[in-house]
Amino acid sequence: MNPLAEKYLRKEFLPFLFCPGCGDGIIVHSFLKAVDELGIIDDLAMTSGIGCSAWIPVYMHADVLKVLHGRAIPAAIGLKASRPSRKVVVFSGDGDCMAIGGNHFIHAARRNIDMTVVVVNNQIYAMTGGQVAPSTGVGSRTQTTPYGNLEKPLDFCKLAIGAGATMVSRWSTAHPKELSRTFKKALNHKGFSFVEVVSQCPVQTGRYILGSGSPQFNLQWIKDNCLPAKNPAQWAELEAQGKIPVGDIMQVEKSEFMEEVARMNQQVKEAAAQGGEN
Amino acid sequence: MIAAEKIEIDSRYCKGCMLCGHVCEFDVFEVGQTRSALDYLMPRVANLSNCKLCRKCQTFCPEMTLSVVAKKKKEGGV
Repeated sequence: MNPLAEKYLRKEFLPFLFCPGCGDGIIVHSFLKAVDELGIIDDLAMTSGIGCSAWIPVYMHADVLKVLHGRAIPAAIGLKASRPSRKVVVFSGDGDCMAIGGNHFIHAARRNIDMTVVVVNNQIYAMTGGQVAPSTGVGSRTQTTPYGNLEKPLDFCKLAIGAGATMVSRWSTAHPKELSRTFKKALNHKGFSFVEVVSQCPVQTGRYILGSGSPQFNLQWIKDNCLPAKNPAQWAELEAQGKIPVGDIMQVEKSEFMEEVARMNQQVKEAAAQGGEN
Repeated sequence: MIAAEKIEIDSRYCKGCMLCGHVCEFDVFEVGQTRSALDYLMPRVANLSNCKLCRKCQTFCPEMTLSVVAKKKKEGGV
């Protein structure tokens, strides 16, 4: 057994409920590697909604809150408000975070609340049997689009940048080392950090969209299609070629919401102590 | 000298996805004949001497069930 699994996983819950060859296990490994190097397992507080990828935090020996479908980010905001010292991490899938919980995501990013949101993008609703998701590409055949999908997919990273997230990255399960490095950066970042992970789903995406249910084929597809981009020009060029560009897109420093709230509380208290009515 | 002492695959959790064999560049693994506790055909370590300790298989194992054990350095050895 992997030494990291020996150290950090709940053995009584193993094996993972993921299908053979699922990318979620690779994400668990990359995340635990980052947590191990930072040594912050006791400071973690994680929330997740519903979906395959929402099971990722459940296997780790840390505090986990499993909530309603799409409502992982509101639960995380409450957690951060009551325990500001904790490092709050949200694990979510593309349907959970971007379809059902899309509005929560936009407004958490707008307020720049200190948390890390990890969205596992497998381009389909996998747990419910392969229905069309907001990330499914044009022309893809799924269970609910048997003649091909007409809707344009949503670009999560551009949405996060537009909404005001202060750190945005995209990696894939074919880049576990870079992913681990980005997790480390995101956990240390003060503000809303967004990490999208393009992951393989051999059972649903593979079978319906890519044409093969083999795990090796699906991982190779990700390796061939997710190419690292060093600058915005290269990013746009790869997008024009129909590839999925990956990399650390942006990181800026802005004032954090919970600190602003604490500062305002302090000001109001001081004004009340001086006898004024604010 | 860089060498692996052994590659352990936990038969309780392996699901036989063979991603270890796919990512390995040195043909260490092949499909084996034994079944894991979950009734999947497990990979077999065929050429352990090829292993260069890159630990790609360990990083890519989705069940976190594979671990590469390196040979210990001899004390005071060459």
